[in-house]
Amino acid sequence: MNVLEVKNLQKSFGSIKAVQDISFSVGAGEVFTIIGPNGAGKTTTLEMIEGLVTPDQGEIHFGDMNWGNHAVAIKMKIGVQPQASAMFDLLTPEENLDLFATFYEKARPTEEILELINLTEHRKNQVKKLSGGQRQRLAIGLAMISDPDIIFLDEPTTGLDPQARRHIWDIILELKKLGKTTILTTHYMEEAEKLSDRVCIVDQGNIVTIDTPSALIEKLTKEREVRLSFLDGESAATETAIFADNLNSVSRTEREGEVLKLWTIRPEDTLLDLFKFTKEKEYQVEQVSIREMSLEDVFIAFTGKEWRD
Amino acid sequence: MNNFNQFKKMFSAQLKLTLREKQAWFWGIFFPVILMVIFMVIFSGSSDDEFKSEIAVVADNPNPTSEMLLAQINQLPILDVKSGEPVSRETADQWVKDQEVDAAIVLPESAEDTSFVLVVNKEDEQGVTTQALSAILDKMVQQANLAAVRAAPTFDIQFESVTSGSNELNYTDFLLTGMIALSIAQGGMFGMVDMVEMRRKGLIKRLRMTPAKMGIFGLSDMVMRLLFSVVQILLLSLIGVFIFGANLFINFPSLIIVFLIGALSFNALGYLISSFSQTQNAYMGVANIVSFVMMFLSGVFFPIETMPDWLQPISNILPLTYFAEGLRDSMVYETGLFTGTLWFGIGVLILWGAATFILGSWLYKRKSIVAAR
Repeated sequence: MNVLEVKNLQKSFGSIKAVQDISFSVGAGEVFTIIGPNGAGKTTTLEMIEGLVTPDQGEIHFGDMNWGNHAVAIKMKIGVQPQASAMFDLLTPEENLDLFATFYEKARPTEEILELINLTEHRKNQVKKLSGGQRQRLAIGLAMISDPDIIFLDEPTTGLDPQARRHIWDIILELKKLGKTTILTTHYMEEAEKLSDRVCIVDQGNIVTIDTPSALIEKLTKEREVRLSFLDGESAATETAIFADNLNSVSRTEREGEVLKLWTIRPEDTLLDLFKFTKEKEYQVEQVSIREMSLEDVFIAFTGKEWRD
Repeated sequence: MNNFNQFKKMFSAQLKLTLREKQAWFWGIFFPVILMVIFMVIFSGSSDDEFKSEIAVVADNPNPTSEMLLAQINQLPILDVKSGEPVSRETADQWVKDQEVDAAIVLPESAEDTSFVLVVNKEDEQGVTTQALSAILDKMVQQANLAAVRAAPTFDIQFESVTSGSNELNYTDFLLTGMIALSIAQGGMFGMVDMVEMRRKGLIKRLRMTPAKMGIFGLSDMVMRLLFSVVQILLLSLIGVFIFGANLFINFPSLIIVFLIGALSFNALGYLISSFSQTQNAYMGVANIVSFVMMFLSGVFFPIETMPDWLQPISNILPLTYFAEGLRDSMVYETGLFTGTLWFGIGVLILWGAATFILGSWLYKRKSIVAAR
């Protein structure tokens, strides 16, 4: 069952088309991740779904509810952690949670949330004294205070150290166990790969592709990058390149000095053939590697852009 | 959660926020108290050793009575008759208007006429000089009454003025009410810096993502601010009355109305500043300039009448001028709620409040398109 359905969303700010045409649907209990470079339209898309920005065109449905007719009901059902962790700095985590709890018809007990976001120890410290990771956890806690069915997390781990990031991953996995639907944006491919059921790659206001992380990587693993470097210098690399170009498993080759890079859909076969050739020629191979494929490659393959964190 | 419970929770959060904000304490409580104490110590208590006043005398129809009074006036060393002899009523009026003389004394027109008139400039009517002059003349009249007990039954003095307070205003009262006005005004103008911070940090946006009733949130914020101002009034009044001996004659209905309208107006002014300030520093810069100008041009420390003529029109459009006057009327003169001058001042304050609020809202709305990105 889909809890959220987005159809043909469009939004322009002046002459800039932030979101051109975005459609997707999210099922109950899913962790749905939107990734894309800065300015791809991730946040604008989220803000339209969260009811902060009115789309120029398109439809947003939460089950049978929409913003035009059920704004308050939707706000009761969703929890939002915006990119800038906005909260009352002079209040403590406990007081922030208590205050936000009053906004909703039903709320989870504050202690429960503090436990879940691991801030029980700091519940009496003013927010301004908390670390970046602790603030971020509180922001997620504020999004969960109403026990919402759908939670939006906009780059929850940006700027955090690996330890703090892992804390947040634990929280997200915990939410998944509770059967909550999570819609996440992130800058970190590793995070998308580890947490998401499905990934949606957005670029220039359009969806490039949507699928499970493994299926996306699968699409690319047909072709793997193999790298060989030769002790015998450029001539050996050039000779091997000519040989490799004639193998039908190899799609293309690239040579930089004594390093040969080639792309193949059957790495095992190609390597066997290559080593036969080098043995014959008595070339000495210094290093061999097959590059692991990740979502980063998926991103590069789909958008033609370098990935920058 | 019902509205009242939501209000209670929001108000308690606002209370904590205010209590924990050190800036609010410094600018709202500490600063005005120190400022008032300094001014009171410096300026009150000391009095003029020598009083001298230049006046004009009008005696259009010289007669025995007027000549007798003129002789008496000439004998008084503290009264300096301009040009040394009586002048026409027109000349005297002109001098008073131009403030070339402090007052004009119109002597009786005939021996049977029993009254004479003290003409003062309207702007000076509360001045120390005027009060002294009227006291001197009062004495003279009494003496004349005694001397002329057979020639004429009574002389009386007519004090020409437009408004008059029932109680005397000394500098302590003047400064106290001015300081109260100033600190409430500053509370409003500086207090809205929270809005800039809330917007910059995305807190307003964050609240809009929740079903929180923003109206109740705004109301709890406003009630908190008004409460803070009540604390200011009480604290400054207590210090003024018990340490510096200020005399307060309060008309509570007037005070409450003037206070509410004034406080709301200055909050609206702060709201306007917040609408175009991107950062806290920008806000504070603008608020400081506005507050500085008003502090010295609105008759907080010194009566507006003592300022150069060309500056006075500026004072007459500043809201703090009317707020300070309104507070003086309601806290010192015990002016009732149904008095024209009080409502004129209130009208000006409402105008300022409404104009700044509307302009501020418009700027907020216009910017939200950009802010949404």
